[in-house]
Amino acid sequence: MRDKPWYAVVYMFVVTAFFSSIVIGFAEFTKGRVESNKRIAFERSVLEVFGLSAGVPAGRIHEVFVESIREPDDDSGGAYVYVKDDDVKGYAVEIAGKGFWAPIKGILGLKADKETVTGISFYEQNETPGLGAQIESDAFREQFDGKRISLSGDPLIIKPVGAELGDNEVHAISGATQTCRRLGVFINEDVSKWLGEMAGKADD
Amino acid sequence: MPISEQMWLMLVTCFSAVFTSNILLTYFLGMCPFTSVSREVKTSVGLGLAVIFVMTATTMINWVAYHYVLEYFGLEYFRFILFIIIIAAFVQFVEMVIDRYSPRLYQGLGIFLPLITVNCAILGASLFMVIRDYSFIVTVGYGFGSSVGWTLAILAMAGIRQRLTESRIPAGLQGPGITLIIAGLMALAFIGFTGVL
Amino acid sequence: MSPNGRTIAGRDIIRDGLWGNNPVFRQVLGICSTLAVTNVVLNTLVMCVSLTCVMSLSCLTVSLLRNWTPRNIRMMVQVLIIAFYVIIVDLILKAYWPDMSSNLGPYVGLIITNCIIMGRCEAFAGLNKPVASLIDGFFNGLGYSFLLLTISVFRELMGMGTILGIEMPYFSGIWDKWIIMVMPPGAFFALACLIWVCRSFKAKEGA
Repeated sequence: MRDKPWYAVVYMFVVTAFFSSIVIGFAEFTKGRVESNKRIAFERSVLEVFGLSAGVPAGRIHEVFVESIREPDDDSGGAYVYVKDDDVKGYAVEIAGKGFWAPIKGILGLKADKETVTGISFYEQNETPGLGAQIESDAFREQFDGKRISLSGDPLIIKPVGAELGDNEVHAISGATQTCRRLGVFINEDVSKWLGEMAGKADD
Repeated sequence: MPISEQMWLMLVTCFSAVFTSNILLTYFLGMCPFTSVSREVKTSVGLGLAVIFVMTATTMINWVAYHYVLEYFGLEYFRFILFIIIIAAFVQFVEMVIDRYSPRLYQGLGIFLPLITVNCAILGASLFMVIRDYSFIVTVGYGFGSSVGWTLAILAMAGIRQRLTESRIPAGLQGPGITLIIAGLMALAFIGFTGVL
Repeated sequence: MSPNGRTIAGRDIIRDGLWGNNPVFRQVLGICSTLAVTNVVLNTLVMCVSLTCVMSLSCLTVSLLRNWTPRNIRMMVQVLIIAFYVIIVDLILKAYWPDMSSNLGPYVGLIITNCIIMGRCEAFAGLNKPVASLIDGFFNGLGYSFLLLTISVFRELMGMGTILGIEMPYFSGIWDKWIIMVMPPGAFFALACLIWVCRSFKAKEGA
């Protein structure tokens, strides 16, 4: 029986069907989790730039997010808004662009004055581990805290390690020149665009 | 994105796949044939050509299969199986066609084709193309560039190794050891290209 | 195989997998997919655990099916089985450890084309009993993991001054970090040196 050509075909079919059904079943089982992981990563990222995520377990992130963050609307120029006691405390501007390898997505937090940076965080990146991926490290991100974006020219500038820093400048990561350069480009594009939208609002 | 920008992006991707992010020297994909076949320039050329052909074609087919079949049905996680089956089937198909129409080419390339199915670089290129979300045009540039980069690396290595047969190398380093050290030096040299982009 | 023969064979399988016929430095196979993540110990650890699991289970499954699988399509069946386990591992990581999943990127998927797994399935599991195949797969995976972990410890320590992200005395302070070690060329050099050391030991043992 095993020499017959149809045996090979039937065998392959049966084996494929068997393993595929397990995979599909398992994928369905984990689907919800995968999606909520993505959502939580994003929400944590938004909270993080305002220093709200420290010590919050994954299960409570969504709760905190709903409590303190307002969905983007026309008045916020498309940014998520950090609200506390009915006061606007800050804006979370989404930044996204192509890194050295794959898309990088993150959040840049600004105070209500739209100038002072409260923090930066990333929820999706696929840069080289140990090099470009260091953009996620505290050491790199903490540099942004308290910087004031420039309203003329590029809002933020990433300078080579060792260079002297101005009010809107941070150091790059050594060995990850490409990632930092691209990062600088799309941060500025997205922030400038958002500032433009907000300026349009103010003129109205 | 306008088509002219796409074309430009394709060229850049192609260039970076050959030099700055060479699939072999920065991602270590396709190492097995690299260490075993790179002894002679002649066989390396054969294998290299086969890789260029198969990789360029399969990344294109896989792009279509991924974006029009798997995404349509929401079965993205099946890509591993689908890609490897497409690659295996494609290689088999090419082997048959070459055997039928050009026995001479078959003698040159034929023995390399079965080796290609398990060449990680081929599957790797398809997986990277998905993860980096390339458009079709860019994928063509990426598939072609990666395979050319791989071929370039294996050719350079074969050239160096042919000379090496005369050299005295410590016993433990002979064979794969010294090959890896040379590959490391090549990788270092290729890092120099990073500044170009 | 007699009942007595099996225990001896078992010991041989273990020794061969770990040292005598170690996949990395004896055969220099299958380093493709894992070498790239060896610049960080944690990533390597996860990758090696995944690989060992996939390898043992694939060998077991291939061996269980060996009497029913037609010879001419056995490669396809092996690829299918390996891919099946890889997808499961990938899904588990995505669902329960998303950060790690994105760190490893496509490399989990590339376990499919890891030559060692195919090699062990073809050379051992296709011809031997399930339990022996499971042991063979597991210890080959262990032998492989052990060497790659060694590489990653050196790379992370010399390149970043840390191990598993924990700062090490001396290395995170006075030591001038060798960035080259976390970059691709460092992997080649580290692997070459390791192969050199292991082969030298092996040569002495043989003499």
